[in-house]
Amino acid sequence: MENSLASLAVREGKRRGADDVAATYIREDAKMIRFANNEVTVSQSWRSTTICVMVSIRKKVAIGVIEDLSEGSMKQSISELLKIAKTTRPNRSYARLPAGPFRYRSSQAGLSVQSSNLVKYVKDAISSAVSSGADRVAGSLVFRSSSTGIETSAGASGNDSLSSLEISVRAFSGMEASGQSNSCARSEKDFHPEQAGKAAAEIAKKAVNPLEGKPGKYDVILGPNVVANLMNDVISTASAFNVDAGLSFMVGMLGKRVASKSLTLVDDGTLSDGLNSRAFDDEGLPTQKTIVIKNGVLQSFLHNSSTAKKFGRRSTANAGWIVPQPWNIIVERGGTSEEGLFNDLGKGIFITNNWYTRFQNYRTGDFSTVCRDGIFRVADGEIVQSLKGLRISENLPRLLRNISCLSDKQYWVKWWEVEIPTLTPYVLAKDVNLTKSLE
Amino acid sequence: MEDIARFAVEYAGSLGSTYSEARIQKLVSRSTSIKNGEPQFSAFLTELGIGIRLIINGALVFTSTNELTKSNVTETVLTAATMARIAAETLRKPTVLSNVKTNKDKWEVQQKQNLTSVSIEDKLKLILEADKCFKPRRGVKFPARILTLSETINEQTFLNSEGTFITSKIPRVAFSYIVTAYSPSKGTVQRFNKKGESAGWEAVSAWNLIELASEEADILASILNEGKKPPKNVLDVVLGSEVVGIVSHESCGHPFEADRILGREAAAAGESFVGVEMLGKRIGSSQVTVVDDPTIPQSYGYHLYDDEGVKVRRRELIRRGIVNTFLHNRETSAELGIESNGAARTISYSREPIIRMSNTYMDRGDHRFEELLESIPKGVYIKSFMEWNIDDRRFSQRYVGLEAYLISKGKLAHLVRNPVLEITTPGLYKSVDAVGRDLSFAAATCGKGDPQQGAPVWTGGPDIRLRKVRLGGV
Repeated sequence: MENSLASLAVREGKRRGADDVAATYIREDAKMIRFANNEVTVSQSWRSTTICVMVSIRKKVAIGVIEDLSEGSMKQSISELLKIAKTTRPNRSYARLPAGPFRYRSSQAGLSVQSSNLVKYVKDAISSAVSSGADRVAGSLVFRSSSTGIETSAGASGNDSLSSLEISVRAFSGMEASGQSNSCARSEKDFHPEQAGKAAAEIAKKAVNPLEGKPGKYDVILGPNVVANLMNDVISTASAFNVDAGLSFMVGMLGKRVASKSLTLVDDGTLSDGLNSRAFDDEGLPTQKTIVIKNGVLQSFLHNSSTAKKFGRRSTANAGWIVPQPWNIIVERGGTSEEGLFNDLGKGIFITNNWYTRFQNYRTGDFSTVCRDGIFRVADGEIVQSLKGLRISENLPRLLRNISCLSDKQYWVKWWEVEIPTLTPYVLAKDVNLTKSLE
Repeated sequence: MEDIARFAVEYAGSLGSTYSEARIQKLVSRSTSIKNGEPQFSAFLTELGIGIRLIINGALVFTSTNELTKSNVTETVLTAATMARIAAETLRKPTVLSNVKTNKDKWEVQQKQNLTSVSIEDKLKLILEADKCFKPRRGVKFPARILTLSETINEQTFLNSEGTFITSKIPRVAFSYIVTAYSPSKGTVQRFNKKGESAGWEAVSAWNLIELASEEADILASILNEGKKPPKNVLDVVLGSEVVGIVSHESCGHPFEADRILGREAAAAGESFVGVEMLGKRIGSSQVTVVDDPTIPQSYGYHLYDDEGVKVRRRELIRRGIVNTFLHNRETSAELGIESNGAARTISYSREPIIRMSNTYMDRGDHRFEELLESIPKGVYIKSFMEWNIDDRRFSQRYVGLEAYLISKGKLAHLVRNPVLEITTPGLYKSVDAVGRDLSFAAATCGKGDPQQGAPVWTGGPDIRLRKVRLGGV
């Protein structure tokens, strides 16, 4: 049914005079179990079908999102969209849709998980955290199953499907100690809620009796949650739209060093275990793997056809009709074991999680982010004291240049503060500025 | 549409629910955006669906769909009922909602000039003209600019198994921009700002976007050309209305949300340093009164009933320095044995109603701006900000000023760049010794919930004076 709705949108758009029409449909069935204080607080489920349509007439662009999918309403919405496009002004940077047809990877078989199993996973996570020493456990579990399709007036046509399981667990030990961990996977065999519960509780247990952290410059180990959060911002600044809008410290840096030699950063829409993989982008191009930073040197921005034309490059199949979007972020692993990384640190701070990353200036990369859950002072490569109240107040390009090494094991991270799924190891960075609030 | 909502509630009842509600929501949005003086796109969004909550065997479930056929709604409610029965087996105590008055009402925000009466062409023309105000001046260029004008019409029908039936229609309009100013010798500064009201086109006319953009360009150029290094020590600080608004929102509104206090949001949005035992205790100086009020006409967070059908009211969260009340929905108020004060909101048919702010502000005092400055030998006035954040218990916060001035001998001396105020919540509220008499508001989108729900709110307040706080960050 959805293919036919997308086709209807394309036909109707062309019939009414559009030069280009692209339509995607997304059908999503999702369930979420939220829990707090060791029990389920609310169960949620969603079922929706959405058609997104882009039309252009003489480079005048209009975009519509349509949820009222009766044929009459669809036609009326397309008519409204064309009316909007006709009355707006040209976007001189607009590039015509890429000419298809294209061949796409075939979809993986979807998961089917019963509600009773979802609750069981939650119970497993809570029990595991409690038996590992937590006194309160909170979190959310999501099972998502979606099918996506594309039709364009340039001949692209395809379907893809994706299902995934995610759990985020936060364990508390007293009022001031907490730990957070997650598990996310495309298959039930790779999904480990009990491990997430245990890992969160172990951090919480170590975090008890925190002392006020002292501000200053420290060598720090950033856990996967922190690296994933910051790399979401790094990849966002590599979106060519943001570069053009001055919302990026990467303006004018193509081919130049933007990070230490240790860092290689990749966007990949093709990964079989990626939680945000898709066979095609919103213009119908088959998705690909794009190396954004290689050994510290900026290799490529993320492009759709229009930004690629403006920058004199080829699309990296990251459309977004207006803003190129990443698929899955990969931070390439280093060659040091996690134990070796702590030995390399010797004396410093280990930060397990963060939130509320905000920029004073996206162009320069000046920002701060609040450390949360376990923060630890490390001496002789060992955790010796739990800390609280610290904030990373830094400049993002400086922080990237100060990365000295990465561990040899990667973890998938996706949770409330990490929107784009990110596969990352631990990172050791030198001379990181930490601040704190005073009375 | 009312029929399908009524069917959902009745069908939930037949499955054994002790409470059920249905909300049909139609959201029509239009927006137009330009980047660096060039139109990017115009967008049109229609969202139409049903959100249903029900309680079976003490377990609360939310479900939604945008396929509004009877058969699909039947299947959706049935799935939700199954989820409830499974979840109920894990509960130590059932979800209980507090008793509230049954309401029947129909209300809407009247537009003096209908948003659809202005063509997209004219809307685009207006923001292109505003964009032209960012012309180079005094050696400063504005190489990167995004300006967006957006509007939504939100029509809702809410009914529940207790007999409440409310229909509403709220138009909202917003203008936002992010601009980069650049000087080869002074670097860059960036400014994000947003205007927003629940009103028609008359709000946009009153904002005077051309004047707003011209003033913004002037001040950004001045910050780059004249801004000096700020002092870094213990001194008196005057916070402007824009900063007081974000302070009131982040370090009073959020920690006073009862769902955080009771741990329901612990996994993501976090908990609160405020506990129930702090009711009636001092948290700030007697100058400090912080209010959350959904009933301010034309405000961005305006509404008359919350999304549980409860009539809303003005809530004094902090009254003269004392913790006075929290923000409640029917679930948290039942847990504490009190009445709901109507703080449940949702942004879409596809999101559960949770406790949210509306328009949060520090209440006005009696000082003129000059009076706030006159007793300060040396200090800093922070009028606006860019970077800010706060920990997830809402205790430790940071604001980095954008437009800020050195105060010398009771007067504004010169601009300073990026002063940092990094302070605890009690530290901030206890240091307030004077409050201005002019109240103003800014529009913002508040984030909370899992999945995220960005709610339209106003933040506001007068200018306020803090005595002896450490500036500069440590």
